[in-house]
Amino acid sequence: MTSGQKNFFLAFQTILILCSVVLVLVPVFLSTHPWPTLARDFLENNGFNNTGAQNQVSAIYLGYRAYDTLGETIVLLLAVSGTIGIISKSGISLARGYGETMSEFSESKSTLLRTDLIDVVTGKLGPIVLLFGLYVMLFGHISPGGGFQGGVVIASGIVFMALGSKSGASTRLEEAKVLAKIESVCFLLLILTSLAGIPMGMGYFSNPMRVDPSFQVIYIIILNSIIGLKVGAGIGYMCVAMLGKG
Amino acid sequence: MELTDLILAPVVLPLIGASLAFCAKAFHKNDKAWKLESFAAAIGLGLPLLLLVYLFQFVNLGQSIQVSIGRWPGNIGILYRFDGIAWLVSLLGFTVGSAAWVYSQGSGPKGPGFTTTFLIQTASMAAAAMTVDLFNLFVCLEVMGLASYILVASSEKPGAYLASFSYLMISATAMVFFLIGLLGFYKLTGSLSYEGISSVLDSLPQKGGTMATASLALIVAAVAIRVAIMPLYGWLPDAHALAPHSISAVLSGVLIKAPLFALTRLLIVMPGGGDVGRLLSYTGAITALAGVIIALSQKDTKQLLAYHSISQIGYVVCAWGAAIAAGITTPAGIALFSASFLHALYHALFKGLLFLTVGTTTDLAGERNVYKLRNAALSLHKAGEKVPITFLCFLTAAFAITAIPPFNGYASKAALSYTLKGSWQGLFLYAASLGTVASFIKLSRIYLPDKKSISPSTGMNMPLGKIKKTAQFSQLFLALMCIISGIAALPMSRLVLRLLGEVESDSLPPYLFSVENYTKTGLVVLGGILLYFLISTKSGKKVLQLIRNRPKMFHGNFVALSLGMAFLFYWIKLSN
Repeated sequence: MTSGQKNFFLAFQTILILCSVVLVLVPVFLSTHPWPTLARDFLENNGFNNTGAQNQVSAIYLGYRAYDTLGETIVLLLAVSGTIGIISKSGISLARGYGETMSEFSESKSTLLRTDLIDVVTGKLGPIVLLFGLYVMLFGHISPGGGFQGGVVIASGIVFMALGSKSGASTRLEEAKVLAKIESVCFLLLILTSLAGIPMGMGYFSNPMRVDPSFQVIYIIILNSIIGLKVGAGIGYMCVAMLGKG
Repeated sequence: MELTDLILAPVVLPLIGASLAFCAKAFHKNDKAWKLESFAAAIGLGLPLLLLVYLFQFVNLGQSIQVSIGRWPGNIGILYRFDGIAWLVSLLGFTVGSAAWVYSQGSGPKGPGFTTTFLIQTASMAAAAMTVDLFNLFVCLEVMGLASYILVASSEKPGAYLASFSYLMISATAMVFFLIGLLGFYKLTGSLSYEGISSVLDSLPQKGGTMATASLALIVAAVAIRVAIMPLYGWLPDAHALAPHSISAVLSGVLIKAPLFALTRLLIVMPGGGDVGRLLSYTGAITALAGVIIALSQKDTKQLLAYHSISQIGYVVCAWGAAIAAGITTPAGIALFSASFLHALYHALFKGLLFLTVGTTTDLAGERNVYKLRNAALSLHKAGEKVPITFLCFLTAAFAITAIPPFNGYASKAALSYTLKGSWQGLFLYAASLGTVASFIKLSRIYLPDKKSISPSTGMNMPLGKIKKTAQFSQLFLALMCIISGIAALPMSRLVLRLLGEVESDSLPPYLFSVENYTKTGLVVLGGILLYFLISTKSGKKVLQLIRNRPKMFHGNFVALSLGMAFLFYWIKLSN
């Protein structure tokens, strides 16, 4: 096949894909069916009373559908640990696949593009970003935010501190080992928290604080904190490993 | 602890195990880590098996236990249902999973990181079998997929990353379509549970019309990718062939079937589900035949087995789809459904065993090419296997897949041909079994001594390591299961029938071990031998080479997905 034929074939396939996908998607996207109101009204009337969270998003993802959230947390955990696993081994395997030696690969690693300016600014900003992350995480039940968002902000705080650590910041938060430990403990805690309702006879992933309506929001805060720390440690761990500090 | 909490244990226990293994990875090293990891595996794989034995009394009474996780009202919370289907799928998953985990402890991959991922994969498999919530099914499939991409890549073979990547790309694309389909159903019905969706759809004019049809097509196509039905199979051969052997066993044995039985729950309540079932039954028959033809042409031992997985899943899907089309509350439907399940269960056992034994053999002989590797039995002997356990286990599995009595494949294929009697799909499956026999004659030749004497300098008989006790143990376990489940096929099929439905029916001929059936088997074997000689001729080899070297492209997966989806859409639309 010449390259012209190849291009033509490729274009033909692309058009085929686009046409058939559009054919199926159009009925879904162009539908004039009104949006359902049942679940929306239910949330509006019961969301706060059932979970204690003013932020309805929190009421859904840590209340009614907390079990789905556990699944999404596991997705993130797998993605992070899988990425690190592949990064740490891929050099060797790729080298083997292409018949090259490892040294050629390690030579291509860029030298650190770091200036004093970056060191100073990120080092000073790091703790502030961490604090903001904690705020987003802990106040997720009353304001926009929550565990996942707070966790990502915390992770960026960790990256800042790792970048700025040359000028003598004294923290162990940038050590990959410490982050891995935090992440694993948080995952264990998350699983244990999900079981907390069972001894009280309330079932899996139920809110054990539900007996007293003024306390039930505590469960949401606990879940938010655990998820936030886990996400922060996990993503921070991945970034620190990618910076070559692991 | 209440019953409604207990039924979630097949999901929760592996997750507890996974979190413990993850802690072992972060905190301990070497011996201590291994102890915690084994403890985690015992909690995550062993304990659920014991629990399933306990839970049997409830499903045996035909009970279906429904629970809303977190005790929220059913229209907003997540519903799980534990019944015969969930029990059987979990049993299948935990049995093969345990054997594969034990195997991996000797032959790799091992370590707490591997155990974490493996346990999470097992949990997601059990969850997919129980969920009756569309969004939760999405989450289960995502977790299951992500765990498999990592496990496939963990073999560190040069092509494994690419195989894992193309698997990731095609399933991630499919999951986007799944989400859009989910959006369509949610917009129409305002509900996420299967019953909620179907009851609102029934009350809508034209049962939701084109939008419902399109949504169903999107969701079914996305799940069909995971099952690897024929046009959507492109990711499977490489992923299954290049994964570590224990993972190949689990991927082929369990993970391609869990989504299929999860889809059952959706299709039996959805309007248009029967039409989907009919189409999938047709595709299943074609898949069974086409898969085995491609398998016959393969050079690489594990590629050959991977294409056989596609072919065998075709058998399962063929009967399964016909069951959905007939309705699984009718006697004919339930018979088809239980036959398909019986084959899924038995295939998990013998295909798991095949991957383990062939993997052990090729590793120790240092050669994967079917045409080059000979005298593997001697290599195994030199690797320290005095009693030829691996070879005997391989024979057991090969006899099972080619349906020789009394091994289990004989019973499940008899059930399939009994229930599919008189349909053209039955003929396709019959033709496919000739191919199965021929390709296993081809594969078995790796154990035979070569005609030419081999000089020791070729290095072919130098074992690359010692045989592992764990490998022998898990192979023996699976081989025993293959034999026992084959001899006890009649009570087994009645059990499956009883668990899947309360309708009186029969999925197996009353005289399974009869002269008439033996004659049929004999004819298939004879036909298979003939076919083998046919492909050994010069022109036969040329045809195989053409099939093997057919153009395969990464973007072919996407063409197949989109065309399949559009076809499915019009199929449902025109059937109404």
